[in-house]
Amino acid sequence: MRFFLRFLLLAYGFMFYLVTTVQAAELAVVIVSSERSAAYVEAEQALLSELERGGVSRYDMLQVTAQEWAGAGALKPKLIVALGSEAATVLAKAETRAPVLCTLLPRSSFERILRTSGRKSSSQFSALYLDQPLSRQVELIRLALPAARRIGVLWGPESQAQAPALKALLQSSGLELVEASVGRDELLFPALKRVLDDSDLLLAVAEPQLFNSSSIQNILLASFRVRVPLVAFSPAYVRAGALIALHVTPTQVGLQAAAITRGVLQGKSLSATPVYSHDFSVTVNEHVARSLGLTLDAVALRDRLRSREATP
Amino acid sequence: MEKQNKSKSAWFHSSCLLGLLGWTSVAVAQVPEAVSEKDFLGDMPIVLSVSRLPQRLDETPGAVTIIDRNMIRLSGARDVADLMRLVPGFRVSDSFEAGAPQVGYHNNLTTFSNRIQVMVDGRSVYSPFMLGHTGTGMQTVAIDDIERIEVLRGSNSAAYGARAFLGTINIVTRDPVDTLGFAAHLASGDNGINDARASMGWASDAGNFRLGVDRRADTGLDGSSGPDVVSRFNFRGDVRLGAADQVEVRAGQTSVEAGVGFAQAIGNAPRQRVTETSFIQLDWRRSLNADQDLAVGVSHADETNVDQFPYVLLPGLTLDFGGRASTEQFNIQHTFRQGSNLRVVWGAELRQERVTSQALYNTDETLVTDFTRYFGNAEWRIRSDLLLNAGGMFEKNSMSGDNFSPRVMFNWHITEGQTLRWGVSQAQRPPTTFEKFSNVVYSYAGVPVAATWMARGGVRPEKVLSREIGYLGDFPRLGLNLDVRVFNESVQDAIKYIGYQSPIYGEVKDFANVEDFTIQGIEYQLKCSLWRGAQLILNQSLVDSSWTDGGNKDYKPQPYLSSGLMLLQKLPGGVDFSLMYQQADATNYAGISSMAPATSRTDVRLGWPLRVGNKRGEVSFVVQNLGPAYPDFVPALNFRRQAFVMLKLEN
Repeated sequence: MRFFLRFLLLAYGFMFYLVTTVQAAELAVVIVSSERSAAYVEAEQALLSELERGGVSRYDMLQVTAQEWAGAGALKPKLIVALGSEAATVLAKAETRAPVLCTLLPRSSFERILRTSGRKSSSQFSALYLDQPLSRQVELIRLALPAARRIGVLWGPESQAQAPALKALLQSSGLELVEASVGRDELLFPALKRVLDDSDLLLAVAEPQLFNSSSIQNILLASFRVRVPLVAFSPAYVRAGALIALHVTPTQVGLQAAAITRGVLQGKSLSATPVYSHDFSVTVNEHVARSLGLTLDAVALRDRLRSREATP
Repeated sequence: MEKQNKSKSAWFHSSCLLGLLGWTSVAVAQVPEAVSEKDFLGDMPIVLSVSRLPQRLDETPGAVTIIDRNMIRLSGARDVADLMRLVPGFRVSDSFEAGAPQVGYHNNLTTFSNRIQVMVDGRSVYSPFMLGHTGTGMQTVAIDDIERIEVLRGSNSAAYGARAFLGTINIVTRDPVDTLGFAAHLASGDNGINDARASMGWASDAGNFRLGVDRRADTGLDGSSGPDVVSRFNFRGDVRLGAADQVEVRAGQTSVEAGVGFAQAIGNAPRQRVTETSFIQLDWRRSLNADQDLAVGVSHADETNVDQFPYVLLPGLTLDFGGRASTEQFNIQHTFRQGSNLRVVWGAELRQERVTSQALYNTDETLVTDFTRYFGNAEWRIRSDLLLNAGGMFEKNSMSGDNFSPRVMFNWHITEGQTLRWGVSQAQRPPTTFEKFSNVVYSYAGVPVAATWMARGGVRPEKVLSREIGYLGDFPRLGLNLDVRVFNESVQDAIKYIGYQSPIYGEVKDFANVEDFTIQGIEYQLKCSLWRGAQLILNQSLVDSSWTDGGNKDYKPQPYLSSGLMLLQKLPGGVDFSLMYQQADATNYAGISSMAPATSRTDVRLGWPLRVGNKRGEVSFVVQNLGPAYPDFVPALNFRRQAFVMLKLEN
């Protein structure tokens, strides 16, 4: 039965591809996804549904993966939306007439792609970031943990570049940065210990060498032991035991990408400067919060953060 | 009651396992070098799983005192037992006469205090050989390996079984990830104090490991036949077997060589008693999902006592109190959460205790006691401000039948930081092997000539009904924290020794359920920040017990007040100053039926931080008992003033 269904789907996909190839000139949007796993599909579906809701026909939108892009290179859509780093990398190297909006990727990935491809951010090649601006993260810390004065951060080879900006932001908020750098071949734990000794919370900044599924056990256990909560960048970390995370969901990314797409379809240019998501989510591990003697309301925190951003 | 003749070597097991660990390697996921969306969208293993999140102090089913690593360091204590001075209601003896320094709660300090449970990383360490006393068990862990000690004051049998009759001391050792690298200490001072420790921690793809060896040595209390030397080795390895599974392996050996006995006591002559304990423990924890955990543990422990001396009145006769014991334990525990308002832990435990001692039981055969325990405890948040902890343990004991220990405790958060606690619990402590089967007969040239202990086997479990009201107040603005416990502990059928006439040997001793008594009173612990860098911890306990000391005609039940004060001050240059003062009313001696005078003790400590290369360390100077010597355990033993210097290098 499953085989039969797969066959039907493939057949449908093939027919759909033929139809859209024929209608290439009329295509509105091509969505190039790095892969077909859950988060990418979620973002894609949100984007498609929102555009459809805004009057764009499904037949004017084509979805392909980064690997399939080579075959779809002749298409002439009004906008190409790249979901993820791999898709963005492929499109950075491709010669497309249509502007490219790279999304579902963090700022450092986008900047790396610019560096390696020799491109510059422009209205032809721009981005909607997946990570959250440091200013928003600092604001969340001030709202959620007002007693925390010393913010611990571990820097890795790639994240280190954000140190001056975070230091300045914290200083202007009356907070202190307690930092330690971990080089490419250095052990994480001595640095973590140094930071935990002098911090009220640990702010995780994405860096696969430091924060990954192997190291998270030691990081969370060590920080919990000294009652230093972890402020993370994804809900998976909250599920693992971080106190709180500021993040954007794939659906939120899809919706904002749809809004940008609508603008382009209406004749606007892409913003030459990449943007952070307007919308975002706050996730709290209520069990960890309770154990630390804290009461945090994720929805209220998000609403307060949004209303602060709305007030200049 | 099954009799066996079997011995096992924990060393065989531990060496096999250590060997295995050397070859263990766990596949570690390839970590990409550059940041990508995978870091934000990828999944993570559950780390702070449901069983790893401790209850808050204002939500525990009883009064809990926590002694953390910093407090241990600042106290200058060399033994876990000595640390219990910092806990309201605890009485401590530093004597090694009955095995090792030991503690009692609510003035229940006897020769072999056995109404407290002591756990080290979830493993019960009371001695099946020495009447269930916990002194040697507390020596199995090096004080520098301890992360924190959680002391639940009050009956805790609903969670920890029969031995937690009046309370539980839960020792949690440091995670090996915190002790990577080399650490050491050396201490030298008065009374032959000569302590040393070296520990090495390392990490590999398989996990984190620690191996430590240490020695604690001095000449013992004034008047003792010292020296007292404790030598230990401990290994711990935490191995992660994939995202959801963690295995922890522990093994250790402790040797307590104590100079005991007295020159003038022909039945307790000066000698060196050697108690050796070894253990191996394996714990596996699987995180089933974000809300469920399964934990399985097995452990094996051995204890050997060599304790003999010639009886001077009959040349050729040797008095022997030696023997050996072993324990096997298997436990399984499931913890789950239902929504945000219900957390349940339930499980079962199988335990077998084997005791072999010709000297104490007049047989070469092994006395075996099997325990089967089923337990369940629920933490139900009835309202946001009201928590109910309800549970119990059913225990099947091959020696003295079945018993059930239930508990209910309500914690009401009156306002933020203010909690009232009320609850009632019931517990039973079955008699130990010695209390049930002692048969100490002395033979000369193969002919029995005398006997001291001859149990008739009629002793039954003793019971306690414990009621308490507690208050916890946290005043962060004032830097003040208050914990008050008002208690009524009604003990029925208390087990005590009695004398009776044996037709062959004349007056001999047995254990029987001969007394009901009530312990009631109030105790509190106050922590406050006095001024910059200063913290004061004050505790007092007033116990009014109707317990009588059968052999001590002078002892009248009377209120017993014990107080403790700890002042911690951070001085310029990072220097730590600590002052500790303890005072206790006159009461009975732990080791003899006689009145002990009121005692007081003042300790001071100064610690200077060090930096050796990239390592932190400390040089500390400690004076214990600044005042005159005070008697401890028996009138002939005195804790005199002693000073020592310690050099410590941290990981």
